[in-house]
Amino acid sequence: MIFELNGKNVSFEAIPSLTLLDLLRNEFGLTSVKKGCDQGECGACTVLLDGMPVNSCLILSPQVEGKRVTTIDGLSENPLMIELRDAFMENGAVQCGFCTPGMLLSSYSLLRDNRNPTEEEVKMAIEGNICRCTGYVKIIEAVLDAAVRIGPD
Amino acid sequence: MKINLKTFVLPFQYNVDKSLEYYKILEKLLNRNEYFVVGKNLIRSDALDKCLGKANFTADYLSKESLIVKVFRSCKSHAIIKNIETSRAMNIPGIEAIITARDIPGINQIGYALPDQPLLNDTKVHYIGDPIALICAQNEEAAQKAEESILIEYEELKSVFDISAALNPDSPLIHTDGNVAVTTKIRKGNIEKGFKNSNVIIEDTYWSPYQEHMCLETDGAYAFPDGTNKITVICESQSPHLVREKVAAILGWKLNQVRIIQALTGGAFGKKDDTGPILAAYAALSAKTLGKPSACIYDRIEMFKTTPKRFPAKFIYKSGADKNGNLTAIQVYITLECGAYANRAPFWLWRQTAHAAGPYEVDNVAVDGRAVYTNNVYGGSFRGFGNLALHFAVEQQIDKLAYELCMDPLDFRLKNVLKVGSRTTCDQILDHSVGIEKCLKSIEDASKWKEKRVPIKNGNTLKGWGIGCAYHGNSTSRSTPDWSAASLLMNIDGSFIYRTGICELGQGSPFGHVKIVAEILGANIESIKIEIPDTDSTPDSKPTHGSRGLMMGGTAAADAAIQLREKIIKIAAEMLDCSLKLVECKESYAYNKENLNKKIPFNEIAEELHIRGLNPGAYGFYASPKRNYDEETGLGINYSVYTFASTIAEVEVDTETGEISVLKIWPSMDVGKAIDPIIIEGQIHGALSQGIGFTLMENVQLHNGNILNPSFKDYIVPSAFDTPEVDDPILIEEAYKHSAFGVKGVGEPSIISIVPAIVNAIYHATGIRFNTLPITAERMHKALKEVKK
Amino acid sequence: MSINNHNTHILPKFEYYSPKNIEEACKILSELPEDSKILAGGTDLIPKMKEGVLKPKNIINIKQIQGLSGIQEKDNCIIIGANTKIRDIEKNLIIQKKADILHQATKKIGSVQIRNIATIGGNICNASPAADGVAALIALNAEISIIGVKKKKTIKLEAFFKGPGKTILNKEEILTEIKFPVPEPGSYGYYCKLGRVSLDLATVSLAVQLKMVDEKVENIIIVSGSVAPTPLRLYNIENLCINKKITNDLIDEVAEKISREIKPISDTRASADYRYLAIKGLAKEAFSQILEKSRGTR
Repeated sequence: MIFELNGKNVSFEAIPSLTLLDLLRNEFGLTSVKKGCDQGECGACTVLLDGMPVNSCLILSPQVEGKRVTTIDGLSENPLMIELRDAFMENGAVQCGFCTPGMLLSSYSLLRDNRNPTEEEVKMAIEGNICRCTGYVKIIEAVLDAAVRIGPD
Repeated sequence: MKINLKTFVLPFQYNVDKSLEYYKILEKLLNRNEYFVVGKNLIRSDALDKCLGKANFTADYLSKESLIVKVFRSCKSHAIIKNIETSRAMNIPGIEAIITARDIPGINQIGYALPDQPLLNDTKVHYIGDPIALICAQNEEAAQKAEESILIEYEELKSVFDISAALNPDSPLIHTDGNVAVTTKIRKGNIEKGFKNSNVIIEDTYWSPYQEHMCLETDGAYAFPDGTNKITVICESQSPHLVREKVAAILGWKLNQVRIIQALTGGAFGKKDDTGPILAAYAALSAKTLGKPSACIYDRIEMFKTTPKRFPAKFIYKSGADKNGNLTAIQVYITLECGAYANRAPFWLWRQTAHAAGPYEVDNVAVDGRAVYTNNVYGGSFRGFGNLALHFAVEQQIDKLAYELCMDPLDFRLKNVLKVGSRTTCDQILDHSVGIEKCLKSIEDASKWKEKRVPIKNGNTLKGWGIGCAYHGNSTSRSTPDWSAASLLMNIDGSFIYRTGICELGQGSPFGHVKIVAEILGANIESIKIEIPDTDSTPDSKPTHGSRGLMMGGTAAADAAIQLREKIIKIAAEMLDCSLKLVECKESYAYNKENLNKKIPFNEIAEELHIRGLNPGAYGFYASPKRNYDEETGLGINYSVYTFASTIAEVEVDTETGEISVLKIWPSMDVGKAIDPIIIEGQIHGALSQGIGFTLMENVQLHNGNILNPSFKDYIVPSAFDTPEVDDPILIEEAYKHSAFGVKGVGEPSIISIVPAIVNAIYHATGIRFNTLPITAERMHKALKEVKK
Repeated sequence: MSINNHNTHILPKFEYYSPKNIEEACKILSELPEDSKILAGGTDLIPKMKEGVLKPKNIINIKQIQGLSGIQEKDNCIIIGANTKIRDIEKNLIIQKKADILHQATKKIGSVQIRNIATIGGNICNASPAADGVAALIALNAEISIIGVKKKKTIKLEAFFKGPGKTILNKEEILTEIKFPVPEPGSYGYYCKLGRVSLDLATVSLAVQLKMVDEKVENIIIVSGSVAPTPLRLYNIENLCINKKITNDLIDEVAEKISREIKPISDTRASADYRYLAIKGLAKEAFSQILEKSRGTR
């Protein structure tokens, strides 16, 4: 089976009982995708599927056939992600770092579709990404700061 | 053991006061009055890798060939093991070994304070989840089949699920020496006289429940053989050297046959202090037995159901004050629930005992504590270590006294808080670094407490304001000697390697060390690389707990930096042809303060250092000043220094649904010296969130020793939507004399005062007191209904 | 869940089917034994399999079946394909404009990540009494289409449920679409639930959809979630409101009587007692909000 992973077509053996999370971590070595609960509740395994954030632990590997999967690794040169990343670092939004890749992907998806989000909208976008270190304050500040940095288009 | 007060003993003639204390490094050693990096907000050195997804956690190191180690556990809460039958499981294809207690080559013991906890049980089980065997399998499926195939013959014993049942004389014994694991005591002044002189006395009982850490990363360890006589374990812990000690004892090996590498850790909050050695031992046992790489990675349910939680505790308080609003006496009975094993209970209980009066001066004190076994999951380290629960009780007592005396709760606190010259619960005289008064006044002003603190009823909502104070001793209790170490190496290109056993758990402590080092060396912060802790090369800095990571570890770092600085300055002075005291270092250049034209980069100095045969490394060592403590009365210099904090919270209660929202928080903390304000704010924010969780939503539900809600779905921790407005934390800097730049611990103390602040605010809004947590919407609703009746 | 019997790291082995169209799907379903499960979003099924609660031998993925997703307005009705993702319903402008109550409810399902995977058909077929989307759809008077091997049928959504996790769906049948009339002018809806954290499943939920003519309630549907084995229509309360103006007195009367209509149980999330009482607060909130909305648009 073939799907697009971080901009490149890749083929893989679609084992139905293998989740996308395990496929990415074990077969493609993308350990930026974290396993926090394996039950779709913590958001550490967030990836973009056809551009939309999803919990990769809830998706069976054959379901990604023909689709586009993006991890944080695929966005390292993306201008929006760079701004967002800088805002995270400068605002002190990174502590243990375990939630960070998923948190960044959820925030990225928000800012891509909404360049001027309200605080409520930021909270809603990252509601599915649990962070036990920061209390979210600086993460929310960082996303709002990134929105200011990128400006309206 | 005699520990001397650490003073600077410098190798060269140098114009400094030999008795200089560490908090005066800037003025006395660096001879300047401005900081280059300390106190500035810099980007943490680990942030970029974490943002790129390049930061490696334990599970990220696993090789595909690694065996899977699964723990087979007791499904009984209290039973004798008559027989363990593993042969059926052994025959499952893919099973390499099943390890039980008899296969342990060394000592089958993992207890922390008391030797009551076998690594694997073969005679008795003490709680649901007690480990019995390790399944070493080639894949998860085989491991799962084996778990379903191991047969245990139990002889069930009566179980005990709460402290009062455990204290019943007829109670079954969970461990042989009785159900009371340990007791504590403090006697200060004259308690009878104290109460006689009281005009108001408040008596009440409080119960602080379990809390699960919910670290985002689940526990894990990965072990692999390093030749035939050595095992390397990559794991998360809070003290790699403690892990090494425990693993070596289990394996029956010398310390130098075990190498522990501390992976980055996805949140710890105390959890990894306890689980680190256990998982490392599981993985190492498999790796040694089979000679193959082996990984033990818990899933969320296993982690939740079987690993230690915040110890529950019951407090019976009697507090008195005179009519002028002075505290007169307190009498406290503490009963700590250990759960199945004592683990950290002796230390936890002592901390509660030693802080029992709260951050207030009380002349007459009597405290009795005991820690009691039950057949529930056992307790362990957790941010705030005993003081969170303690302050939940003591700060409500203080609030009640204030209301009883018709005094403003903040004024009442101001009148009684510890000041310079005050004596603590344990009669320790505080001669400096006591910032609680400033904390209180600062948030009184910031929140406009006096004007705005009015309970408001608006339709279905009630608003109220509350305040909480906290203090938390840094480093070891009971005058136990404490020390830390660090090493610093200057490479020939002028870059540095910094090594500390203080672990990066998210809190950023090692980065704080590096800022201290950079400040002292005048080095560019990017030129100093922090190595992850590795017991083969990293000095034993002692654990990352007890609010000592930066206070102790950072001061050891300062010691190393001071030593290396002397050499750099000496070389630089010669190269610049000026006197030692004219040399200034900044951004990895040395120059003459009076002649700025010539600058020598650190790489040239490093080269010169090597050419002249001077040691380019430094081993920093710091021991806390000698203290004393009396076993009989519990009095003495318990802690080197205390961190103080106070918090104001505004809450809103929906009377129809019972839902409680925290609207705004004003935090303040006496941090000694803020090495990195933005990191401290991050600690405070995170702690507020965990504190809100503990106060309002996090609810470990136990039924006959079984945890009913072991997941994020059912155990609700705060999400982004539970983030209240937080006013800029106010950082008070009452420097501690004996730590680098005066720094004190912040991560733990920051969680303590929010809990009583919310509880007291709920009282202010509704007139209802809560003696247990969490105050869920349902509990609030029920209480409101009862009041109406 | 036994202490040694869960392993969220793995899924129990199963046979996987990926039919291309509905006919094929129904055929596969009819030929397979009972222990087969349809995979739509999987946000409910996959965690249960990882916990070892469900161990289906066969999984039939219907995600890739064409024509089962999308939202359209046709003949004064809104039709939503069963495979439509919750997130797409939430973001859909027709829904936002014409069926606000459904928009509100979808926003409260799980997280963005969950809503990007979960489908409305899955939300319905899980038959959770707590399902947010279901309560809103019943309030909109929705009906659903079901296709079997030979026949197609349409039934009222509220008649679909038999109990927690149980529906009238036969094993070879598939839910294909949900259809409800576009609310007429003068219609207002409100959805609310307890469990402030929306990742928390509803402790109690309430959906109220009504139409006002001359300030009086002409028709109304009230549905409550998590208070009975299935989403529950509160007919007596509906009847109480018909032909009346929404006044504070009426709201108080609704709040007073609504507890009698529900049959909650105690579980790890809340006690039955609390649910009995807390629903009063939700009723007040819903009716007050609707009243405010109706005033705002007048």
